[in-house]
Amino acid sequence: MKSTLGKRLQLGTLILLYIFLYAPIVYIVYVSFQTNGVWPFPPDFTLEHYASLWHDEIYREGLKNSLIIGIGTAALASLLATMATIAILKYHVKGRMIMTGLFLSPLFIAHVIIGISSLMFNKNVLGLSGNIGSTILANATYATAFAFLVVLAQLARYDWRLDDAAMVFGATPKVVFKEITFPLIWSAIFGAFVVSFLLAFNNLEISFYNLGATPTLPTLAWGSLRHGVSQELYALAALINLVVFVFFGVLYAMLKSGLLKLDYKEA
Amino acid sequence: MGIVLELKNVSKNYGKVIAADNINIEVDQTEFFSLLGPSGSGKTTMLRIIAGLEEPNEGSQVIINGKDVTHAPPYQRGIGMVFQDFLLFPHKTVAENILFPLKMQGASQKEKDENLKWITHLTQLEGLENRYPYQLSGGQKQRVALARGLVSKPSLLLLDEPLANLDLELRKKMEIEIRRFQIELGIPFIYVTHNQQEALTMSDSIAIMNYGKMEQVGEKFSLYHDPDSQFVASFLGSADSIEAEVASVQDGIATMTFHGKTIQARAHNGLKAGDQAICYIKSERIRMEVEENPDAPCGVVLDKIFKGQYIDYILDIEEGNEIIASSGTLSQIKAKDRISISWDPQVADAFPLPPKDPS
Ligand SMILES: Nc1ncnc2c1ncn2[C@@H]1O[C@H](COP(=O)(O)OP(=O)(O)O)[C@@H](O)[C@H]1O
Ligand SMILES: [Mg+2]
Repeated sequence: MKSTLGKRLQLGTLILLYIFLYAPIVYIVYVSFQTNGVWPFPPDFTLEHYASLWHDEIYREGLKNSLIIGIGTAALASLLATMATIAILKYHVKGRMIMTGLFLSPLFIAHVIIGISSLMFNKNVLGLSGNIGSTILANATYATAFAFLVVLAQLARYDWRLDDAAMVFGATPKVVFKEITFPLIWSAIFGAFVVSFLLAFNNLEISFYNLGATPTLPTLAWGSLRHGVSQELYALAALINLVVFVFFGVLYAMLKSGLLKLDYKEA
Repeated sequence: MGIVLELKNVSKNYGKVIAADNINIEVDQTEFFSLLGPSGSGKTTMLRIIAGLEEPNEGSQVIINGKDVTHAPPYQRGIGMVFQDFLLFPHKTVAENILFPLKMQGASQKEKDENLKWITHLTQLEGLENRYPYQLSGGQKQRVALARGLVSKPSLLLLDEPLANLDLELRKKMEIEIRRFQIELGIPFIYVTHNQQEALTMSDSIAIMNYGKMEQVGEKFSLYHDPDSQFVASFLGSADSIEAEVASVQDGIATMTFHGKTIQARAHNGLKAGDQAICYIKSERIRMEVEENPDAPCGVVLDKIFKGQYIDYILDIEEGNEIIASSGTLSQIKAKDRISISWDPQVADAFPLPPKDPS
């Protein structure tokens, strides 16, 4: 008796948790198919928002910019974070405690401040107006810190003596990385890439100050608040969610089938 | 026979810790050479220096096949190595692990196939080629590690406590196999262990390490029977120790007084009359007699421990000196028997005892 009650409670909690997590998403997907975005009840289905999204240049432009910022930032941040982690964990560089602290401190700086200061740096020191490049660099500051945290936590378990072994058997440092280190740590780097991509992709403050009128998805969403949220935005959000689900679905299938390996049991 | 490995004045400091202290050795083409010493004595450091994974201090020289490789990176040294925790690549199959050194050399597929066949046969790994390391038993992992070390027919194989993680039975078997591989391949093995039984079983030569120093190097028989230093005398075999006062030294033999009885041993390190000495005797060299000899150290048998191939007698000599004497299993001496002990002066070694701290 008691155990079935306990089990039901567990199940109930789990369901509530999923509702909590997914209700906003489900709502957005729902609204994206409705004619009336303000009060979409009773339902009145339509695809017009998807159609106008397809025809509206500005959303395509925004998506493109957001993707560039996200991928650029993620590539830079995960590269820097991986190099820093290898220096600290593999080569035990001097002053690694201080280095770790300094790598993590950008986490505590408000994005608004990073946005404003990078804009001022651009203007006053470089004589440039804000641009995608500076947006990527500004996002990479705190994103590197996040990426570093992710990679460091994962690589604390890595046995660097495997790299030594490979070297003795004739592998140059480059080959060691390609043959041994990377295949064993790629999941950590990938995790850092995803995290920093999402952070930069969704970032509003930094893009707001650095890009001005150049649209990104968050700045479009923010801007449209002034004249009521346009429903193309809902459609766009729904599509992005779809892409994310498909992406993780494919990843899951690849891991399940053994096409891709995330982790290796200890030898 | 040619010298394959030569270390000249090799030293290494980690801050204040001296992990290698002016090491000089030469290892011959067909030699099974063991580095034996307690944990922390610098054995792993020595192998890492030979492999190029650790840079020795200024003035050190590592020479392989006549070439000075002191500053060459590991991947240019052409050495094989078997690591203590195997260090198999977990994302590679047995075959990929074993063939890694050949892959690095850019060997052809045919070459790889042939060598894989040869080495899996030698190490009895046939049929396991497609498994991953986590699907192997401890003994199988050990063989893969060995196969990977040997597959490229290196000029030298380094082994760092390769059997430390195996159970006793497997270890005994592998000891004999490893020695067989070494003879078959005709390359020198440098074998690190803290287990003297292992070193004595397999080696031609042994170097005894202590605090980064090489205490003594030599052929194993002479090392066991002719220790040069107090550490070697106490470390090898099961050695009993007795403290005594030196009465005289003549022709290299010290005559000492121990509780009013006279004992004798070879004198080392300038031992002279009047010194306090510590005297080491291997337990299998101690003879026991049931009649009490008034001139010899006497005592009582505390315990008799049957070990299978021999018996250990725990003795209390002259009240308060515990000594172990090993004897054949046919010995009739029993616990509580009163006995006297003796030994050949030529098999015992006496060293000066540093003056006692007043504290
Ligand atoms: N990377 C290192 N940094 C600092 N000290 C070290 C390092 N490696 C070894 N040591 C020290 O050097 C000494 C010898 O170590 P090691 O060669 O591992 O001994 P063994 O293999 O005989 O147990 C030890 O005191 C050890 O603490
Ligand atoms: Mg060691």
